[in-house]
Amino acid sequence: MIDQRLYEEFRDIGRDIFVTGMTSSHGGNMSVRVGDKIIIKRRGAQLGRLKRTDFVETSFKGKDSGIIRASTELIVHRAIYEKTSALAVVHAHPRTAIVLSLSRDEIIPIDNEGSYLLRKIPVVTVELASGSKEMAEKVSDALQGYKVIMQRGHGCFAVGQTLEEAYAWVSALEEVSDIILEHKLMGEEMIEYRKHSEGYKNW
Amino acid sequence: MEGWAGKILDIDLTSGSIETLPLDMEMARLFLGGRGLGARLLWDLVGPEVKPLDPENALIFTTGPITASSSQTSNRFNVSTKSPLTNTLLHANSGGWWGMQFKRTGYDAMIIRGKSETPVMISITEAGISIDDASDLWGKTVFETTEALGQDRNKRNVLCIGPAGENLVRIAAIMNDKERSLARGGAGAVMGSKNLKAIVVEGKEKNKPADKDQFKFMLYETGKLIKASPLTSQALPEFGTTVVMNVVNEIGALPTRNFQESQFEDAHKISGETITDTILVKNQACWACPITCTRITKTASGEEGEGPEFESAWAFGAQCGVGDLDAITEANFLCNDLGIDTISMGNTIGCAMEMAEKGFIDNDLRFGDATKFKELIRETAYREGLGDDLAEGSYRLAEKYGAPELSMTVKKLELPAYDPRGMQGQGLVYATSNRGACHETGNMLGPEVLSLPRLIDRFATQGKAGIVSVHQNSAAVIDSLVYCKFSAMAVAEEFFARTLTAVTGQLFTADDLMKVGERVWNLERLYNLREGFTSADDTLPDRLLNVPVAEGPSEGFVANLDPMLVEYYQFRGWDENGVPKPEKLEELGLAELVQPVM
Repeated sequence: MIDQRLYEEFRDIGRDIFVTGMTSSHGGNMSVRVGDKIIIKRRGAQLGRLKRTDFVETSFKGKDSGIIRASTELIVHRAIYEKTSALAVVHAHPRTAIVLSLSRDEIIPIDNEGSYLLRKIPVVTVELASGSKEMAEKVSDALQGYKVIMQRGHGCFAVGQTLEEAYAWVSALEEVSDIILEHKLMGEEMIEYRKHSEGYKNW
Repeated sequence: MEGWAGKILDIDLTSGSIETLPLDMEMARLFLGGRGLGARLLWDLVGPEVKPLDPENALIFTTGPITASSSQTSNRFNVSTKSPLTNTLLHANSGGWWGMQFKRTGYDAMIIRGKSETPVMISITEAGISIDDASDLWGKTVFETTEALGQDRNKRNVLCIGPAGENLVRIAAIMNDKERSLARGGAGAVMGSKNLKAIVVEGKEKNKPADKDQFKFMLYETGKLIKASPLTSQALPEFGTTVVMNVVNEIGALPTRNFQESQFEDAHKISGETITDTILVKNQACWACPITCTRITKTASGEEGEGPEFESAWAFGAQCGVGDLDAITEANFLCNDLGIDTISMGNTIGCAMEMAEKGFIDNDLRFGDATKFKELIRETAYREGLGDDLAEGSYRLAEKYGAPELSMTVKKLELPAYDPRGMQGQGLVYATSNRGACHETGNMLGPEVLSLPRLIDRFATQGKAGIVSVHQNSAAVIDSLVYCKFSAMAVAEEFFARTLTAVTGQLFTADDLMKVGERVWNLERLYNLREGFTSADDTLPDRLLNVPVAEGPSEGFVANLDPMLVEYYQFRGWDENGVPKPEKLEELGLAELVQPVM
């Protein structure tokens, strides 16, 4: 079962995601892969107030009863672990990124740090939200080429070798999105300062 | 060529035949090149009935699809064979210029089998490919041979063995471009067993990218990241690989006096900072590398050459309790000249020092005494006196004199410069590495010490198996492309995937590459299982498992291997005996390959 070090990582990152407004009280979820198991947040647990009893250990691939207590998005997490080399997955609802996803097929950072870290964040459209097979397939496919992706109008999925790394991509995505939105609201022409930045379009 | 040249050179030294074989492009896509392609070819060519020094063993030199493309660090190449030191599959790779030059001859790989009756060398130039008499070179050192054959950095490059390889020393290296080495596991002895002294290459063909614009963009973006990383843009150029000496020592993970301690009181005397301040003449770079980590150094007595790298400085330094930088550096130079792996040499001398101090061998060798380094290295290369035992490596030496527990080896390969008691993940890397104890097959220095990509608790065990596996798979990919591991400390797999896509014109995602890495790792595992290795070989020296570190930042810790190993087998989709499950082999496309034998 989850050890103290891993629990503290879940708890602290869950708290950070909630207090920075990147999810509502009971939204978002996180998981890590340990051996042939997944440790994932319990369905209905508050991300900002995770207790040691708020986790479910379930199999990586096979079927087990853990599924009835696990996060609704378990199917997506499983698909991501199956198709990518991810060891941790964070799903959150960063608001500005969601706003941008409503009118864009990709989010291309305009700030220097965001360009350096992310270059491009693809946006995927899913008809049936929350835990559908379609969502699992599209999200996991998109994550084969990117560390963080947006699901249009819903939220983001990020992967890493640790929860901290996945969280870092979520946090960077929202900062990138805030800057894009604020620059757009300002209404001024951008002075391009990045050599070969047109290449990010094809990233 | 766009990535792959599509050809393999096949040379039989027994018959003298030289043939060109087509590269199986499906095999190339599944295993890429370098270490992956080497493992795949070795699987077919060298079965368990072949002993490492038999003529039937093959020496397989491989490049990768990005080699010679001018992508940053695309200079490296690989050799695969069965190791005379470990009896495992062996892969070793090297930088410099030779790999790039060999690729320019229009071949992806070269298989060398059989055994010549007399010493020979191979020439691959525009004039043709020939096997020539090398009787006059036999007995010469690496530096003498390299000079005699006309090494010319960008035009003509020499790969050879020194006396150690000729004398079948089990820790003999193959050297290229004078002072670069395919160091570990005794590939030099395999070359010596074939009476093959040298391979000279001159090439003109270009590895031109299929998508020039995308390739240029990737060059720019990759360069930006290498410049932005403090490791690749500041630490390595300024201090070389020994930049980590003080860092590893400070956390209590620098093995000292044959792993009896984990901190060395004189670490600062052999650190990157001291090298830069005292003996550094200039930096040097391999072909197409902006990092320039190579040190050209000069000792007080006037000896000048390449090194020491971190592992070499540790092996003759902390491992032997020696803080004399000149003595360490000159020992390194001599190993290069005689063609010996510095890690195994220094580690084995450290083992001999402990054996002498504890009375297992009758010798006045003592920790801290560097005066016998040169004598011992020469004796090893020529198999004289105690050197004849040292030439067998640490395990056989310690076993012969009744103290196998003093050998710091895994699968008979000498451990490198990290104490697993202070870096738990590194212990799992050593225990499971397919070529024996090796940090290069999944180095956890990044996540456990340097915060790359994020700092993880170095003493923790839960979840560590996954991170180790991912790093092992990633290392297998880098070794198959073939890139330098240092570029990977600044650039993630997605950059490699996009560059590979631009070079070959075939789409590769980051996860496609990681799957290649997993495939290579599993094939190597299968090779070793076919050789008779079992899960019992996935272990560490008893000292590391059962003797806690006495003092310092790692005080009280042992290598907590068992729980990590259980998690590791589960993560990898192997059974409790460490055998890949059928569904895993199916997933990786290896099921048909192993069906007749497993």
